[in-house]
This record gives sequence, C-alpha cells and structure tokens, in this order.
Amino acid sequence: MIAIESVFKIIFKGIILVVLLFSFSEIFAAEGGPCKDYGECDKFKYSLNDIESLQSGASTYINYCYGCHSLKYSRWGRVAKDLQIPEDIFFENLVFDKSIKPGDLMVGAMPEDSVNWFGVQPPDLTLVSRYKGDDWIYSYLRAYYEDSSKQYGVNNLVYPGTAMPNVLMSLQGNQKLVCKEIPVIARNGGEKRDDLGNTIFEKKCGFLEVEEGTGALTKEEFDKLIYDLTNFLVYVGEPIKATRERIGWYVVFYFLVFTALSSLLYREFHKDYNREEAFK
Amino acid sequence: MTEIASKLFTWVNTRLPIVNTFERHLSKHPVPSKVNFWYLFGALAAVTLIIQIVTGIWLIMPYSNTEEQAFSSIEYIMRDVDYGWVIRYMHTTGASLFFAVVYLHMFRGLLYGSYQKPKELVWIFGCTIYLAMMAEGFLGYVLPYGQMSYWGAQVIISLFGAIPYIGESLELWVRGDYYISGITVSRFFALHVVALPLVLIALVFLHLVALHEVGAGNPEGVDIEEYLDEDGVPLDSVPFFPYKVLNALVAIGVFMTVFSIIMFFFPEGGGYFIEMANFEEANPLVTPDHIAPVWYYAPFYTMLRAIPDPLGGLIVMAAGVAIFFVVPWLDRSKVASIRYKGIYSKIAITMFGVSFLTLGYLGTVGVTEVRKTMSLVCTIIYFAYFLLMPIYTKYETTKEVPKRL
Amino acid sequence: MQDKDKTRRKVLIGLTSAVGLSGLPFAATPFIAAWNPSAKAKAAGAAVKLDVSKMQYGQQIQVSWRKQPVFIVRHTKDSIASLDLVLPKLADPNSDQIEEPYKGLNASRSKSPEYSVFSGVCTHLGCAPKYFPEVEPKPWDATWNGGFFCPCHGSMFDIVGRVFKGVPASTNLIVPPHMFEGSILTIGEDKEL
Repeated sequence: MIAIESVFKIIFKGIILVVLLFSFSEIFAAEGGPCKDYGECDKFKYSLNDIESLQSGASTYINYCYGCHSLKYSRWGRVAKDLQIPEDIFFENLVFDKSIKPGDLMVGAMPEDSVNWFGVQPPDLTLVSRYKGDDWIYSYLRAYYEDSSKQYGVNNLVYPGTAMPNVLMSLQGNQKLVCKEIPVIARNGGEKRDDLGNTIFEKKCGFLEVEEGTGALTKEEFDKLIYDLTNFLVYVGEPIKATRERIGWYVVFYFLVFTALSSLLYREFHKDYNREEAFK
Repeated sequence: MTEIASKLFTWVNTRLPIVNTFERHLSKHPVPSKVNFWYLFGALAAVTLIIQIVTGIWLIMPYSNTEEQAFSSIEYIMRDVDYGWVIRYMHTTGASLFFAVVYLHMFRGLLYGSYQKPKELVWIFGCTIYLAMMAEGFLGYVLPYGQMSYWGAQVIISLFGAIPYIGESLELWVRGDYYISGITVSRFFALHVVALPLVLIALVFLHLVALHEVGAGNPEGVDIEEYLDEDGVPLDSVPFFPYKVLNALVAIGVFMTVFSIIMFFFPEGGGYFIEMANFEEANPLVTPDHIAPVWYYAPFYTMLRAIPDPLGGLIVMAAGVAIFFVVPWLDRSKVASIRYKGIYSKIAITMFGVSFLTLGYLGTVGVTEVRKTMSLVCTIIYFAYFLLMPIYTKYETTKEVPKRL
Repeated sequence: MQDKDKTRRKVLIGLTSAVGLSGLPFAATPFIAAWNPSAKAKAAGAAVKLDVSKMQYGQQIQVSWRKQPVFIVRHTKDSIASLDLVLPKLADPNSDQIEEPYKGLNASRSKSPEYSVFSGVCTHLGCAPKYFPEVEPKPWDATWNGGFFCPCHGSMFDIVGRVFKGVPASTNLIVPPHMFEGSILTIGEDKEL
C-alpha cells in the first residue's frame, strides 16, 4: 500500500507544481479580448427553449439583416418548424420571395455586385454564433456609436472600423461616445472621498449613451430585441442544440446506470472467485 | 436442433480455431490479479478506436471532398442528415478522447516500466500507433476545410519546407497545388479514411499479439510467471474473461459517461476539441488572429515554437516523438515500477509530467517573452527526462521488489 | 458458493446485460436514421408544379419528379369514351391490385376527368414506355387503340396507363399524389389526401 501512496504523492505533488507554475500571472497575460475597445464582452446566456424569443429574433433577422446576410446552410421550412411557426403564416409574413419553397436554403437576397456597396461582401451569418460567439454578437450589435469620420457615420467599439452601417439605429436611437464624471473607487472597494467627506470624481471617457428621444425603443426594449436576435443566431448556428442537450441527459443517465450495475457485477465476481476453479 | 448446432460447431471448429482462440486469448488467458485503474486505458483506447471507425464510415457517406463542398458538406451533415450531428460529434469527441486515453496509457507505461524486457516490441508497436494517430488526427482535421483546417495544415506542411534542399518542392508535392486546395483535401481524405486506418488496425493487432505473447504487466513490476501452479498457470493471475472483461466494462461505463457529457453538452470542448475559427470556411487570403493547434498536438507545437530556427524546431519536435521509441534502452533500472525505483526517477517523472502539461498549455496560447522562456525550459526538462534516464536509473538506490503480487 | 450469492450473481448478470442490450437500439438509431433521405434530398424531391392548360388534346408530356419521369396526358372526349373498347384487353381495369389514390374518381385515374397523371416507369423492369396515340394496327397489336408500348420487353398500357393482359408487366402504371388548382397541376403533393 505504501507503494500506491507514493505514486499518488507524486501525482499530488505534480498537481501542486502545475498550479504553482500556472499562478505566474505573466503566463496568463491577457491577449486582448475579442470585444476589442469595448473591453469584456457582455455575457450572453441563450435560451433555446424560449420559442417566443426565437420567433421575435427570426423576425428581426429577416426584416433587418436578411437583405444583406444570407443563412445559406439553413432551410426556410426547418426554421418555421423548429420555431413552431405554422408554415402558411411563416411564408406569408416572413418570406418575401413567393417562389421560395420550404425546402430551399436561405441563400440571401443580395445582388451579385454587393461587394461594391460596402467594400466587402456581407458575410453569411449561419455560423456566426459559432465562430464569433454569442457574447460577441450581443455586445457588437449594441456597441455602435456616432463617428462622422466613417463612411456611414458610425463606428463600433467591439469591431472598430466595421463596414456595416447601424441598420437598427431607428430603433436604438443615436448612440454616442460620452465622457462622464464618475466616483473614484478606493482600494477597499468603496467610493474614494476627500478630507471633507465628499466623493472624489474623475473624468472617464468611452461610455456609450443614446441620445434621448432619437430611438423608437427604450434601452431595455432594444436590449431585448438584440437578445432575441442573438438567441436566434445561436439557434441557427446549431439548430439541434436544444435537442442535443435534452437527449444528453438521458444518455448520461443511461451510462451512469450501466456503470453502477457493471461495477456491482464486477465486485460480485471479484469477491469470491476461486483461482483454481476460474481456470477450469 | 441442439445436436445439429453442436455438429455444425464441431465442423467449423475443426477448420477454424474458435475454442482454442477463445481459451488462449480470453477465458484462459492469464492476467495479473492485482492491477490499478492505470491498466484500463488500453481497453478504452480499443473502444474509442471502434467508435472512430464506425462513425468514420458513416461520415464518409455524406462528406464531400471537394474544395467547393467540403465545408458545406459538414454543415449538411450537421443539419440536413438525420442525426448526422450525433455521428459527427461522436467522431470529434472520440478523436480528442482517443488522444486523452492514449496519453494516459503511455504515461502508465512510463510509470510502471511497461516497456522493459521482454515488452520492448509491445512498446514500439504502441509508439508507432501513436505516431499513426498523430498523422490520422492531423489529416482528419483538414477535412472540414475551415479556417483552422486550412491554416493548421498550412503551418504543418510548411514544416516540410524547413528541410534543406528538398523542402520547398516537397511542400508543393504534398499539397499538389500552390495552396491547400481541393486537391490536397482529397488526397488527405484518402489517407485519412483508408490508408492510415488500415495501418492503425494492423498495428493494434500486432500490439495485442505481442502483448499476449509476453503477458500483461502490473503496477508492482512483479514477474508473475515466476510462480506457477501445477498446470503452469501463474499463481498471481486471473483469467481475462470474465474477470478483466468485467473490470473493463466498469471502465467503459465511466468513460462513456464522460464521453456523453462532452459530446452532448460541450462538443466544442471550450474551443479545444473543435476550434471556433473552424466554423468559418477556409480563406487562403485571411489568417485568423490566433492559430493554435488542437490540444493533443500542443506540447509538440510548443517545442517547435521554442526553437528560433525552423529546421531546429522541426528536428526537436520530431525528436520529441521519436524519443519514446528508445525508452526501453534508456531505462537501466533493475526494477520496472516507479514504486520501487529511487527518488531520482520519481523526481524525473514528476518533472516530465509537469513540463509536458505546461508545454501543452503553452501551445494553446499566444507567445510572450516569458512564455517563450517557459517553453524552452520545459522542452529541456522534457528531453532531460529521457536523456538522463540511463544515468539516474542506473545509479539510484531501488527498493526490493516483492516476489508475489 | 451459497444459493443466495448465486441468485444475486444471476440477477446482476441479467440486469447488466439487459441494460447493456437495451442501449443497442438507441445507439443504432442515428446510424440507421442517417440513411433516410436528407433534408436536401427531400427538398430536391419536393412537389413540382406546372400549368397544363397549354397542353393540346391528345398530347402527352413528361415531367421529372424525384428524378423519375411522370407522364401527363390530356384526353379528348372521344378518347375517354373509347376507353371501354380496350376493357377486354386489360389485366386490371379497376386497379384492384395496386394501391391507387384516386380509385373510381375519374376514368382518367387522376383527379381531373381530362388529364391522366401517372408514373412513366414500367412496372416490369423500370423502362420508360413510349406513347403511341394513333388508332391503327401496330406490329405489336393489330387492333391498337392508342396507348403506351414499352420498347424494352413489349409491355402495353392503354392511354390512362392500365396494363394489358399477357404482357411482362403485371400492374398498372402508378398514379402519384397530385392536385389541380385551376390549371396548375402539382405532382407529389395533395392537400386533400
């Protein structure tokens, strides 16, 4: 038994060493987050069982995005079915080209020369949630700000120099980069105060703020709109994601039962086997 | 009815050694009676190999090996083929877990001296399997023709360019084109689905034949053949079937639980099993921000990067894999198991394990000055483990190995 | 070993095997299902639509549905009336031997009294029969009344695709699901079916 212990001791020591080595913060130096100037991306938690959210996201996508961005690996009928929209209602309200059949791919409505309009071909977005991540999309679509130096008068904190205009501006309103006086945070986590007990402020820039009254939606409504849109893109990136997670529980449960039974069986055989008999 | 069946069985058995094979390799094949969990990874590797072969065959059917359709055929599998996603995720999860299991299996070998006389050939066949797996994994990763497939292959094929004189023409020859095109993908496809699987299966067969000839080891490093009963069966052994089979069954249960948790809940493995950039179709004109190999190549990739010279890096990386082959002749210890080896061996294998893991981590992140130094240090430790082995195993004091298990 | 232990062992073997084996059908499901027609194949095999009002009387056209020929024949009143003449030659005039979607609805066997819609695949070995509308003696039938003749093995069918007696093909040409919306014929889909 001593021998086994020593092996485990080695493993244990190894783990400690690894932890020690990795705790050098230098090794984990930040690599510049995917959300660039925005800082940390806002966290997005998908809810693929919220059909209403997916339906609203699909509607926003088709009305505002599909004109330029295809979903070429996805089929119209599949989206209607997965989002529980009756096919006739779906085709009446969301499919503008009447020659489209349910089995057709969502190849987009963009003419061939679109490269000239934006300088780049608007990318297909079927898999954008998989190669950019849902956090990124959710942050990106909310990080547009006014920048008169750009072609479309807007820039983006998450994707500086983006070629895409802010197509949702009429809903969001005119968002600007502003500077604010904010309380200085002391080392203990509270607000820093001067000798007279007044909070010390400092000027910080780079805050996004929507000019009041310029958008059709409130901030909360707009955030919800983007939430639904991102949720839809997560769905379209992997249509079986909800199914996969649902089936997963059953499969894991099955293998747990199997493991339990087989380990009982193994122990049953192990406890009383008779060497001499075993080889007969 | 039973009479006909038994007659038929006898007829076949006199022409095909069914009973003999069953007894020799299963019901009467003696295996050490006391082993620990480290001895279960071989069986798990076999299970994974079967999973990979079956899902692989099913993936060939809808996959398209052309430049225009390779990427979209993967999405076709994921969306349009009924349950295609199950089969594909099984294959991607299986690939990563195959390597995980084999790495643990190999570490077991180092830990308990599973390469020592007379098991040298078992070990060498094993190392060859690992080599074939690395090639198989690389070729397979190119097939979806995503950004990581393309740029990963670009980096690996460029390694050939580091070979003096013939490098550049070799690169061109491997690609068969001026970039990694459909031509490259389709030859990689042929190798991935036919050539290397055949090699792998043959090697696994040899690995097992050699193993059954010399007998399985145990964590004590005891030679169970020393004490036999009157029938010539080792006293410290049990028949493979059913005792070891049942033990393996438990391991398979645990393994499949882990397998399904990954496959159904984290199929991308946080970007380590399927990298995010690989969901974007290959674009020879745009390099992704951050090219990292899949985790199972990461340690060797770090070695490559640690050496400033391309040819030097290539040599070091190749040596990092090749050195496993000569371990049986590097270890001069009188004992097999780490339990009875001296303190130097224990320190050495710990340092080796730590440096291997660190190299692996460093391979998946970007390069900084500190990380570069770390890579170099870990590479040196990695090689020191092997190269100093003849010295520290020979001159350290070992403990007495018991006679029986 | 005691009996109690023996029973325990037997029960455990039974349970483990039962659980293990019960997993097999589930494990096999994805592999079997993956051979079903994919969404792509289904999309390619979706219903086809065409306007049949431009067809001339007595004309036969061929459309491809699921990459298989489907024949459409527009009948004159006379040719429909003359269908009774071939009755004695037919093997299965009422399509009793096959599953037919619109049995007894129209003499044309389709949903329209004027048009016939049936598969152009001979029920013998899969050749495509040819249309010979003329009422005149033919090498294969001296009293030919118009219909389809298969060049491969000489099977004969009347103008609505019913098989003759004594020919290699044994059943009538198959009528696919279809519907008429005005003059628009949809093959492969019938909302009323």
